[in-house]
Order: sequence, then structure tokens, then C-alpha cells
Amino acid sequence: MFRIKSPQDAGAAVVFMVIGLAGAYLGSDLAFGTSARMGPGYFPIILSWTIFAIGVIVGLRGLTIEGPAIEPVQLRPLLVIIAAIVAFGYLVERLGLAITAALLTVLAGYARRDVSLWETLLLAAGLAVFSVALFVYGLSQPFPAWWGR
Amino acid sequence: MEFDLLHNLATGFTAAASLKNLGFAFLGCLLGTLIGVLPGIGPIPTIAMLLPITFGIDPLSSLVMLAGIYYGAQYGGSTTSILVNIPGEAASIVTCIDGHEMAKQGRAGAALGVAALGSFFAGTVGTVFIAGFGPPLAAIAQQFNSPDYFSLMVLGLVTAVILAHGSVLNAFGMVLVGLLLGLVGTDVNSGLTRYTFGIQEIWEGIDFVPMVIGMFGVVEIIRNLEQTELPRPHVKASMKDLWPRGQDFRDAWPAVLRGTGLGSLLGILPGGGAVLASFASYTLEKKVASDPSRFGRGAIEGVAGPESANNAAAQTSFIPLLTLGLPSNAIMALMMGAMIIQGMQPGAAVMTSRPELFWGMVASMWIGNLMLLVINMPLIGIWVRLLSVPYRLLYPAILLFCVIGIYGTNTSPGQLALCAVFAAFGHVLVRFGCEPAPLVLGFILGPLMEENLRRSLVISRGDPIVFIERPISAVLLATTVIMVLALIVLPQFRRTRKEAFQE
Repeated sequence: MFRIKSPQDAGAAVVFMVIGLAGAYLGSDLAFGTSARMGPGYFPIILSWTIFAIGVIVGLRGLTIEGPAIEPVQLRPLLVIIAAIVAFGYLVERLGLAITAALLTVLAGYARRDVSLWETLLLAAGLAVFSVALFVYGLSQPFPAWWGR
Repeated sequence: MEFDLLHNLATGFTAAASLKNLGFAFLGCLLGTLIGVLPGIGPIPTIAMLLPITFGIDPLSSLVMLAGIYYGAQYGGSTTSILVNIPGEAASIVTCIDGHEMAKQGRAGAALGVAALGSFFAGTVGTVFIAGFGPPLAAIAQQFNSPDYFSLMVLGLVTAVILAHGSVLNAFGMVLVGLLLGLVGTDVNSGLTRYTFGIQEIWEGIDFVPMVIGMFGVVEIIRNLEQTELPRPHVKASMKDLWPRGQDFRDAWPAVLRGTGLGSLLGILPGGGAVLASFASYTLEKKVASDPSRFGRGAIEGVAGPESANNAAAQTSFIPLLTLGLPSNAIMALMMGAMIIQGMQPGAAVMTSRPELFWGMVASMWIGNLMLLVINMPLIGIWVRLLSVPYRLLYPAILLFCVIGIYGTNTSPGQLALCAVFAAFGHVLVRFGCEPAPLVLGFILGPLMEENLRRSLVISRGDPIVFIERPISAVLLATTVIMVLALIVLPQFRRTRKEAFQE
């Protein structure tokens, strides 16, 4: 059996191969055309297979040359921050910037383990006031300050 | 000719130097420095985060502000390099070596002051360079045909790959993934949508702002939160003597001159001129020094040279963008994205069709550099204090400004979902040792490259020989081949590259 010598390379190889295959598969219903008359699929399909080939080479390197390990993934910051971003998008139109900004700050605060609730609430209030003043009133960005407006 | 130059510059300064625009330049520089000085946030995420605030204003003001942000972000990065030894980007790595050493010896003020003055001088020369050589180069650019454009993009992308961090192969893969992502959306030629999965949000292509903020800004925050100890910079040195002393000036000026010359020339090359320039300048300074052993122990030339070179190159790297409409590195790709959003397609045509915009932009570069000096000389003390704000208070604010920036650009929840997707994607890539910067360059060039390839092959009826038949294209491709061969054949070149990127 092969032994993976460079986990990072192995990971990168998988990413490249998946993107390459997906690009080639999803592009397969686009007309390829000919060199003189490139179809919509011509360039993307050539790119996809080249990406796949790079994935294969990176993978072979990962099996033959020692390389760095993959740092362990910590799910908490990743998931919390991503949730905060998506939630902001869906809530800001309904709740207004003031409340949404405060919510985002508190949620983002919980991306860390040892959060101090009071400190986070203070920061949230401060940032809410600041961002409404600057972006809604100062720069007239397209945000409602409160719900229903 | 000389009269033309003065006349053109006068046009530019009249347009750009209105009180309103000076205000925007000031604001841009201030915000750029403010965000750029934060540890772990290099110029690319800084510009990405601040881009959206330039969208609401008229084109020239927004370009002026953008230039301010750009220089502010660059200088902010140098400040962090010198004070806390955290380079925000590849071009600042060499500044860390002697700059931080000087800071440890209590000469941070001298290092920061020389960096600011050297950058200003280099920026001024770089601006004159653009003004003087822009029009003739634009005339050459008009000789460019589709095959030449295609070959130039190949050269630019290959250079970017070679100058990227880490594995060359990974960087090459990232460029190609970027090209592919750039093709997502409606194909202009056939009108068919490609890779959209029926999601309306991306029918017009993937939006640039959520992508770059996700891949750079948000990834940076998540990565910092993963550290067991949040980044808490220790500012060791006291800041008593802000101004460089007389001896410092005498040591630094020759280095500034050499760095400026080197940087101005290398900046024109496609593909990461600033990085190349700062490394080349450091090597040069070490070579010409009477006592090379001082380097690495706080030699002021080791700060003055690379910082000037970096800034001169940052300036002249606008030339390929403004004459050919091709960005030569990830930052220029960001600038190009911003210009397109403003309804200005960068290229030689801008110079003739909208001279006030082109020359206004050139003038604004110099104004931006001046603002930088005006803001930073008195404020260095404040930047130092900003660095002592704990990260746990900083990151929610940064995240909030990121999402406000995205939503303000395009008021749709889908844009934030897109940002989240790219944050996750970027996070995975960094884990696997793939830097996202080459991807951005590919993303911007994707549609351009496809279009020029298509046109070239239509002209030649599908025969790829057209790329070596045209002299300009042939020279560009030959340069590309030589660079790739040098990388493969010369072990010394490979070693230098490896050393250069060790942090």
C-alpha cells in the first residue's frame, strides 16, 4: 500500500483533482467546438483537465516526498464566523443594521472559547452605534437602520 | 514632448487636486493605514475590505481615494513589519529583517521615518516615470494584437506563479482554478451560462468583492482565531526619537536612490514586481555595503533600499494596467476590479478618450504619496498604540466592516453566502499549502484570456503557430520559456527562491 508522506500535498491533490473532474464533468454538455471556432466548452474543459493533471502530479509528490502535516482544523472559529456572515445577510434587511451589527458582534465573540459576555455586549453596542452612524447616516449606504424601514 | 508632459500633469492636478478630492485622498490614506497596520492583515485584504466604500462616489474621487487606500495599506504593512516583525505580504519580508532589528534597538522611529521618506521619494519618481513613459508605452501597446495579449498574460501568470509563496506546482494549480472560476457565468460569445448550477446570483459571473473578502479577510480572521494565543504584538521599543538622525540620512539616501531606480524598472515587468524589487534591492545593498555584516543587525540601508524599491515598483506596476489593461499582480487585479466597477475599462483607450481621468489618476498617485507622508510622520505614535488593542476586540469589528462592505456593494443575502463559501474554500486551500493570491490574478484574467485565445485562433484558423509568428508574442513566450527553464535547470535559482520566501 502507498504511504502518504506529505499530507498537505495529498490534500491539495484531492482538491485539484475534484475541481478538475467537476469542471470537466459539468462542462461536458457545453459545445467544445474546434480550435478555429472555440465553443463555450473549449477553454474550460482544457483548463479542467490541466487542473486534474496537476492534482495527479501533486498527489504523486505527496506519496514520494516528505512534507508538512496538515494543521488540525478547529471547527469552532470556522463554523461560528461563517454562520455569523450568512446570518448577517439574511437578517439585516429585516432587523435593520443596528440590531444585526450587534448580533454579529456577539456571535463572532463566541468564535473564541473564553468569552466575557459583558465585554462582548459593550463592544456590540459600541459597534452598532458606530456602524449605523458611519454607514447609514454618514455614507448613506443601502441599509435600514431599524426594522420595518 | 516636455511641454506635453507638463500640460498633461497640469490637467491631472487640476482635476485631482480639488478640495473634495484631497479630502478623499486623506480619508483613503488614513483608513488604508489604519487597517493595513493591523497585524496579519496585509495590503490585499486591506484593499479588499475598503473597496466597497469607494463605490458610492464619482469615478475620479473614487480613484483618488483608492490610490490613497493602496499607499496607506502598503505603508501600514511596513509599519507592522518594523514594529512587530509580522510581514503582511511577501514584499515586506525583507523590511522585517533589519527594520525590526532597528526597532529592538530603540530606533523604530528612525526606521519608520526613513521608510516613509524613502517611499515618498520613490513614489514621486515612480509617478514621473508613469507620466513620462505611459504615453509612449501606450503607443507600443496599440501594436498589441490578440496573440500578443494572450502571450503577455501567459508570461504574467507564469511570473506570478514563480514569485508566489510555497510550491510552484500548487501556485500553478491555483492560477488555473482562478481562470476557471473567472469563466463562471454567462459566456459572452454563445450566451450560454457556464457552471452556474442554476443559481441566479452568479449568472453574471462570480462577484469579485465577496470572493476576495472571503478568501483573504475572513480566512485571515479564522486563522488568527485558531492560534492558541491570539496575536498580541509586543511593541518593545520606546518611540522617543521619531525622526531619523543626520547620520541615518547620510547612510540611507544612496540606498533610497538605488532602490528607487531598481524598483521603477522591475515594477514594469508583469507578475509581482514589488516582491522582486524589494528582494533585489536588499541583495544589492548588501553587495555594495562596505561592511555587509551589519545587515541583519539593524542596518538602515536594509530598510531604506527595499522600502523605496517596493514603493517605486508598486507605482510603476500601474503601467501594464493603464496601458495594456492587464493587471500584473493580485493587488493590481483588485485595482482593476474597482476601476471596472466604476465603469472604467483600464487600457490605452482611457488615456485618449478620458484624459482627465487618466492624468487625474496619475496626479492622485502623487497626492496619495504626499498624504501618506503628511499623515504618518505625526501619527506614527498612534499606530504604535493601535497595535496594542487586543485582537479579541478587533476581530469582531473587522468582520463587521467586511460584511457591511459586501452588502453595501450588492444588497443581496446571496452575496454573503458567496463570501462564506469562499471563506471556507480559502481556509481549506491554506491548510493544504496553497496560497490564494495567484487565484485572484487568474480569476481576473480568465475571461480576457479566453477571449484573446479565441480571437487569435480565429485569425489563424486554429493554428497555434500564430503565437510564435508574431514578433511581440514570440518574444513574450520565449521569455516565459526561459524563466521556466531557469526554474527547472538552475538549482541556484531554485534555492534563492526558497530562501527568499522563508519567513
